[in-house]
Amino acid sequence: MDREVLERFRIGDEAAVKAVYDRFGGSVFALSMSILGEHGLAADATQQTFIKAWRAASTYDPERSFAPWIYAIARRTAIDMYRKQIRVVLSDEIEVAVYPPGLETAWEVFEVRSALDLLPDEERQVVKLSHFDGFTHIEISEQLDIPVGTVKSRSHRAHQRLVELLRHVEEA
Amino acid sequence: MSAEDLRAEYLASGSGDSPRDSGRLDLIRGVLADEATWVEPPPQVVDALLAAVAREGSSSIKDPAAVGRARWPVVAAAVGSVAAVVALVFSTMSVLEADKEIVVAMTGTEIERGAGGQAAVGPSGSGWWIRLDATGLPPAPEGSFYEGWVWSDEGDGVSIGTFHLRGGDTPVTLWSGVEMAEYPSIWVTLEQEDDGPEASDLVVMTGRMPDA
Repeated sequence: MDREVLERFRIGDEAAVKAVYDRFGGSVFALSMSILGEHGLAADATQQTFIKAWRAASTYDPERSFAPWIYAIARRTAIDMYRKQIRVVLSDEIEVAVYPPGLETAWEVFEVRSALDLLPDEERQVVKLSHFDGFTHIEISEQLDIPVGTVKSRSHRAHQRLVELLRHVEEA
Repeated sequence: MSAEDLRAEYLASGSGDSPRDSGRLDLIRGVLADEATWVEPPPQVVDALLAAVAREGSSSIKDPAAVGRARWPVVAAAVGSVAAVVALVFSTMSVLEADKEIVVAMTGTEIERGAGGQAAVGPSGSGWWIRLDATGLPPAPEGSFYEGWVWSDEGDGVSIGTFHLRGGDTPVTLWSGVEMAEYPSIWVTLEQEDDGPEASDLVVMTGRMPDA
């Protein structure tokens, strides 16, 4: 994130809030989806996360990386929401520490999505079609109506960028 | 193919082929194949966020449930008897807590006689979602937008989000952080971008949660 944007976010500037959402909204939503597994709940968690972040913006230290800061808020928010949902199912008398199943890979989901959102659209599209939809290069070229060579070069560049952006992601 | 591309770039970047490196690679592959990684947040999230920020300014949000609370400026509240209010709260809550959707009929006012539709209301983890499916409501003119509100019988209006329909994007999903049983009326107003956070008096649609 641009330092100036973060400085403005820190003092509660509305335009900066939008800029921060544009950069991290997808990551927070993906994290929320991985923990909560339901679209509506994830949307609520995402909205709550950014409102909490905005409220707490004055406590953010712009000298430190922003991603882990908002990740921590998003993770906490999603866990709290998950526990509220579980409590409906469990007896009121049973108070146990319940951790959602997607929690182990929450950081990786957040980081991978953050990296994907930095890719150019055409490269991101190729990555999605190959990894998520399981298409081959030839199938992608047919799908997008572009030469196979173009698919390969986009795939090469996209994966190069991804590996570089995700270099710090450690095995869970 | 994608797995080979990823692995090739991974190795080219200087990472090794140890079990630990393979584990990291598998983890990234798994995340890339997960639907959660690719889903997009609904546009109403950022609309509601920015509406909340605009309403509260940069200094004083304290209570999540109070975000967007505003005094309704025009319509006088009709306060029923205590017994009736209690009955309404309990009967409505009992339906909502059953985790079912409540469908509220929405009708156009004199300003938009041709508007209609329905609002489906259901509990979410942190409040209530309201899915408004409006018909006959024209796109908000440039420089203006629609704003959804829930309103208590005591005269308090709470914003539940904004939309403009210029993309033809109905239904829209709004969100309420206050109890629908206590704020049973649903309203849609037309707002000007330059106006303040208070609700305008241009009410275009109304509806009310059923009593039972």
